[in-house]
Amino acid sequence: MRKQVQRSEKTCWKFTVVLSPVYGAQHPPLDPRLTKNFIKERSKVNAVPLKNKKASSFHEFARNTSDAWDIGDDEEEDFSSPSFQTLNSKVALATAAQVLENHSKLRVKPERSQSTTSDVPASYKVIKSSSDAQLSRNSSDTCLRNPLHKQQSLPLRPIIPLVARISDQNASGAPPMTVREKTRLEKFRQLLSSHNTDLDELRKCSWPGVPREVRPVTWRLLSGYLPANTERRKLTLQRKREEYFGFIEQYYDSRNEEHHQDTYRQIHIDIPRTNPLIPLFQQPLVQEIFERILFIWAIRHPASGYVQGINDLVTPFFVVFLSEYVEEDVENFDVTNLSQDMLRSIEADSFWCMSKLLDGIQDNYTFAQPGIQKKVKALEELVSRIDGRFKGRRVLHCLPSDDPFQCTQPNSIFFASQSEPEGFSHFHLYVCAAFLIKWRKEILDEEDFQGLLMLLQNLPTIHWGNEEIGLLLAEAYRLKYMFADAPNHYRR
Amino acid sequence: MAETYDFLFKFLVIGSAGTGKSCLLHQFIENKFKQDSNHTIGVEFGSRVVNVGGKTVKLQIWDTAGQERFRSVTRSYYRGAAGALLVYDITSRETYNSLAAWLTDARTLASPNIVVILCGNKKDLDPEREVTFLEASRFAQENELMFLETSALTGENVEEAFLKCARTILNKIDSGELDPERMGSGIQYGDASLRQLRQPRSAQAVAPQPCGC
Repeated sequence: MRKQVQRSEKTCWKFTVVLSPVYGAQHPPLDPRLTKNFIKERSKVNAVPLKNKKASSFHEFARNTSDAWDIGDDEEEDFSSPSFQTLNSKVALATAAQVLENHSKLRVKPERSQSTTSDVPASYKVIKSSSDAQLSRNSSDTCLRNPLHKQQSLPLRPIIPLVARISDQNASGAPPMTVREKTRLEKFRQLLSSHNTDLDELRKCSWPGVPREVRPVTWRLLSGYLPANTERRKLTLQRKREEYFGFIEQYYDSRNEEHHQDTYRQIHIDIPRTNPLIPLFQQPLVQEIFERILFIWAIRHPASGYVQGINDLVTPFFVVFLSEYVEEDVENFDVTNLSQDMLRSIEADSFWCMSKLLDGIQDNYTFAQPGIQKKVKALEELVSRIDGRFKGRRVLHCLPSDDPFQCTQPNSIFFASQSEPEGFSHFHLYVCAAFLIKWRKEILDEEDFQGLLMLLQNLPTIHWGNEEIGLLLAEAYRLKYMFADAPNHYRR
Repeated sequence: MAETYDFLFKFLVIGSAGTGKSCLLHQFIENKFKQDSNHTIGVEFGSRVVNVGGKTVKLQIWDTAGQERFRSVTRSYYRGAAGALLVYDITSRETYNSLAAWLTDARTLASPNIVVILCGNKKDLDPEREVTFLEASRFAQENELMFLETSALTGENVEEAFLKCARTILNKIDSGELDPERMGSGIQYGDASLRQLRQPRSAQAVAPQPCGC
C-alpha cells in the first residue's frame, strides 16, 4: 500500500488563528474603554460560580455567533478591480523619511549626557558576555520552531534559535559594541538610575531595542511591574515576590481538586511540549516553575482560565530573567546551579510580568475570543483603507496569528510594543497591516483560500533579523502615524 | 504548483487535546514521528496526494486545536469537509469519553454525510491502556464509524486510516451516495478527471499519473 502512494506534494504548514503575537503590552492599558470592559467582565465572572462549560453550551454559542468567524464571504471577493497604487507615494516617502530622521535623532541624543554618572543599582547590574559566540554557533544548526518550513528565499542565512533571540539580540553576529550602542547603554543606565525613571523616555529609548545588559530591569519597568521610583523598587520586588509565593502556598495544592483538575491537566499536558527541543525547558525544575506560574494565573483569571498558547508567553520572561544570572549558553543551562532565592525571583518576576502583559489582552483568550474578533475587524478596515484591493475578510482570517512572529524576533516586537504609549494591542494592529502590505502582491495573486493560507503560514520570515524587523516596525510606525488619529484619512 | 489529481478531498483531524492529532498528520505527510510537537493553536494545514483504487486523490487536511476554547475558531474550518479522523488516546479514558461531543460537532458543522474514521491513537503504549479495543469498536459500530487503532510514533495504521477514509468516500461517489457537485460536499474535481467519474468506470480513460514520486 505504502508504495502506491504518490508523494507529489509534501506540505504541512503551521497555522494559527487564535492568538495574536503577544510579546508586549502596555500596562495599564491606556484605552479606558478596554479597562472598563475588562473590569466589568471580571466582576461578572466573579459573581457567577465557576461552572463547567461543556459541549452542550457550545452549540448554543455556535448558533449565536454563527457569523463570527464566517468565511462565507470568501466568494464575494473582487480582486479584479483596477490596481490602486493606493497611498500617495510622495506622502508615504516623506513620512518614512521623517520617521527615520526621528529615530536617528533619538539615537544620537544620548551623547549629550555621556558625562553623567551611569551607575545602575547593584541588584540590577547584570553582565553577560560570552553568550554571543555560543549562541550564534548554535544558530547555524538548529531549526527550532518549524522544521517543516521550507524556505527558498534566503537559504544561506542562519535561523536564530528562539532562546538566543530572546536572551540576546545580537546573536547572529556578535560584533563588538559600537560607539552608538555604548552611548545607548549609557543612556539606559542613566535613565534607570535616576531617582524617578522617566518611563516615557525609557519607552522612547526602547524603540530600537533594549541592550541586553539592562533588559531585565527595563522589562520589569515597562511592564508596570516595577515602580519608576528607584527607592521603592527593592521593596516592591520583595513584596510582590512574597505575594506570589503566598498564592502558591494558598492555592497550588488545589490543583488536584476536582474543579481545578481540567485546568491543571491541560497545563500538565502542555508544559513538556513547550519549547520541546531546548534542554533548558526539559528540566523538571523549570517545568515545575512553568506549571506553578500558569496554574496560579489561570485560577486567578477565571474568565479565560488557561488557554493553550499562554504557556508560550512565559518563555520570553523566563529567559530574560534567567539571563540575569547566566552568562552563557542559556539553552543548555542547568538550573540546579542556581540558588533557591534566584529561582524564586525568576519565577515570581516571570509570573508578574506575564500577568501584566496578559491584563491588556485577556479578551483574546476569553470565550469566543472577542479581543481577536475586534482586532480582525479593525484590521480589515485599516487594510482596506490602505489598499482598496484588500476586500472582504478572506485575508484577514489568517492574520491575527502569532505565527509570522514565531519566525521573527519576538524580543524586537516586544521592545517596540513596550515603547508604544498605547501599548501592544494597539500597535500590533499596525504591525499586522505592515505585514500584509509587505506581501500584498503575493497575497493578491493567490486565487483561493487554501492557497492564501499556505502563503501566509509560510511567509519567508524565518531568517529575519533585526534589520528586517526594524524595517517592518518602521513601516508599522508610518502606518500608525498616517492612519491612527485620522479615521477619515484615505477613507474610501 | 502544477499537479494532477482526479479529486480533492477536504479532511479534518479532530479530538481532545494531547491525543496526537498533529503527530498523526505529520506521520502521514512526512513519514516520521514529530518529536517536537507543540500544542496546536487554531488550525494547522497539510496536504498530500495519494493513490486510491486507481484514482489520484489530493487530501487537504485541516488539523485542529483540541482545547475546548478553540472550538469557536476551529468550527469555521469544519464546513464542507468530506472526511474526518476522530482521534482519542487509548491511554486516556477522558479523551474517549468526549468522542460523542466531537462527533456531534462534525456531523452538524461539517456535513451529516461526513465519512468519519475513529482512531485510537498511541497504540504503542499498550501497557497504559485505559480503553479496550472491543469497547471502542462497539462505539464505532453504534455510530457508524470506521475504526482503527493507530500509532503516530511507529506509524502503524496511520496511512491506512487516511486511505481507508478516502476509499470510502470514493466508493460513495461511485455508488452515487455522495454527489461531488453538491455544494459543501468537501469534494472537488481535479484537472485530471474533470467529470469523468460520472461515466462508468470501464469507459474511463486512465488519468495521467503525477510523475517524480
